[in-house]
Amino acid sequence: MKRDIEDATTISKADLAKLTKEANEEATPSRLKIMWGEFKADKPALVSLFLLVFFILFVIIASEFIDVPKMMETNIMGYYNKPFTPDYWLGADAGGRSIVKELIVGSRNSISIAIGLTIISSTFGICWGLISGYYGGLVDLAMQRVYDFMMIIPMLMTIIVIVTIIPHYNAITLTLILSIFYWMGTSRLIRSRTLAESQKDYVAASKTSGTSNFKIIFREIMPNISSLIIVDTTLSFAENIGVETGLSFLGFGLPMGTPSLGTLIANANDPENITQYWWTWLPAAIEIIILCLSISYIGQVMRRTTNAAQRRGQDQK
Amino acid sequence: MSLIEINGLKVHYPIRGGFWNRVVDNVKAVDGVTFDIEAGETYGLVGESGSGKSTTAKAIIGLEKATAGTVMYKGKDVTKGENRRKLDYNRDVQMIFQDSLSSLNPRKRIEDVIAEPLRNFEHLDKEEEKLRVLQLLDIVGLDADALYKYPHQFSGGQRQRIGVARAVATHPKLIIADEPVSALDLSVQAQVLNFMKKIQRQFGISYLFISHDLGVVRHMCKNIAIMTRGRIVEVGTRDDIYNNPMHIYTKRLLAAIPETNVNHREAHRKHRLEIEKIYQEQQKTYYDQDRMAFPLVKVSPTHSVALPPELAKKFEQQSENKGVNV
Ligand SMILES: Nc1ncnc2c1ncn2[C@@H]1O[C@H](COP(=O)(O)OP(=O)(O)OP(=O)(O)O)[C@@H](O)[C@H]1O
Ligand SMILES: [Mg+2]
Repeated sequence: MKRDIEDATTISKADLAKLTKEANEEATPSRLKIMWGEFKADKPALVSLFLLVFFILFVIIASEFIDVPKMMETNIMGYYNKPFTPDYWLGADAGGRSIVKELIVGSRNSISIAIGLTIISSTFGICWGLISGYYGGLVDLAMQRVYDFMMIIPMLMTIIVIVTIIPHYNAITLTLILSIFYWMGTSRLIRSRTLAESQKDYVAASKTSGTSNFKIIFREIMPNISSLIIVDTTLSFAENIGVETGLSFLGFGLPMGTPSLGTLIANANDPENITQYWWTWLPAAIEIIILCLSISYIGQVMRRTTNAAQRRGQDQK
Repeated sequence: MSLIEINGLKVHYPIRGGFWNRVVDNVKAVDGVTFDIEAGETYGLVGESGSGKSTTAKAIIGLEKATAGTVMYKGKDVTKGENRRKLDYNRDVQMIFQDSLSSLNPRKRIEDVIAEPLRNFEHLDKEEEKLRVLQLLDIVGLDADALYKYPHQFSGGQRQRIGVARAVATHPKLIIADEPVSALDLSVQAQVLNFMKKIQRQFGISYLFISHDLGVVRHMCKNIAIMTRGRIVEVGTRDDIYNNPMHIYTKRLLAAIPETNVNHREAHRKHRLEIEKIYQEQQKTYYDQDRMAFPLVKVSPTHSVALPPELAKKFEQQSENKGVNV
């Protein structure tokens, strides 16, 4: 049967190299190249990208050099030390602890939790939505009931209860606990797009080409909703920085003695701190605003990359 | 023996409603369709929009579950999933879709699109696979530089040819072509149709050619079935259908083919209006009280028509007396 196809054309093995080269010259640029072009065309996003990458690397590396238990010790001498002094660049809090060091270690903790939470909950939500939307019918029905159940649980209260009854927990267990409650939004979004996408003929064509359902879901449909996934993931990342921060602010986040952006902002609970000792909470608040802004700029560029009509960078071959 | 035999095929979609979301009614998209396709022939399936052509096609290829009836291929009923897998059915039966853009994954390069059935059914090594894709592109008249492009970078006609290349990649025995050219303009239509004919001659493929355009069907098909509201109303050879249509629905469809000859335009218009009048008058007799077509009656060895019971009886007597003659 292979013969027939060969008989009908003049192309043979000898032409393969030449034709491949021809095809390569006409090839459409890869996604990474396009994305880089987009970043170059959007200066604020480029600055945001560098800022974010540099900042994350900095806090991770710098906190390796900080002795956390020692840093968290109370130091009477530094009580509400003023900022911009040689020992305390950004001043100190009521315990005389250096705000700069707390900020560095706290940022690392908060960002790590946010990254972990985003990876786990988004992956789970995406898979849930894809499978539910693709199979439809009874599978979808069952999976949506689980979703409904998770939605009606009062999330914040349950998290607080779990955190209170678990005797020992650390950043990793906290991330896992939070992940249980943060996949639903993503899953609904992905499901609705998958429902629409599954009806398209290319899915039918893949089925008649003998491709398995698993491959159709993850290799055919998923790339087609990648723009949605990327935008949703970047936004959840920004949001997830807020989740841990909010919990720690309320006192139910990371255990005592573990600094985070939330515990720093919690300094603002004290009215005296708000007015007089602004350096105890303001840097952390500004940092969160800058982080979230940068992430949303980056998210916009990613969205443009996946949507040809919105591109700003010129198409380069 | 025929290549594939479709027997009493039904596809009903449930309509849900009411308080408990119960099934309250059915959409009878396909309601008892029977026909055979011979090896190497092009079988035409014609009908207006919504008559159930695409649903029939999807049920035959296994994309839609059949409510009842059988599709026999190599002695097995391929409406069952396990039989399809056992036979590697989709290696032998492929489909060309109506909307070429939506049938090609926008995120995949042409190489991956055409190689998809090859990867699943014939495990070639990388070099062989690329060579085969290049050969297939050559057969449908596209250059090698198409290899690493995406579907949106092609014109409608080129895309449909990519669809053809994918469909013939595993050297199938039957290709179901669901209105393969209805989205294309006339000059490109002829081009794609001629490609399909050429490939048929070279590879001995059968087509199930679905269309609402009787002009195109005449050009392509030897045997034709006319379908309306989920049922077949007339089956016959090209000659039977075009020169001796017997069901009022077929007559009306034929009258609706646009007349290109300017001199006959007025006459054609008159003829069409006449047929339309007859259609309106006789509609009651040619369909039952549920507006469904009657069962098929053989009027000649090749020609069957869904005649109303009285007419059908007359026919049976006639053929008993004088042998088959219309
Ligand atoms: N998933 C579905 N659920 C309910 N009804 C459906 C579904 N798919 C198709 N139908 C109905 O079945 C009938 C036949 O549809 P089908 O797509 O087979 O028509 P068609 O002959 O291919 O028309 P066209 O020429 O417009 O492509 C239509 O009346 C349609 O409304
Ligand atoms: Mg159709």
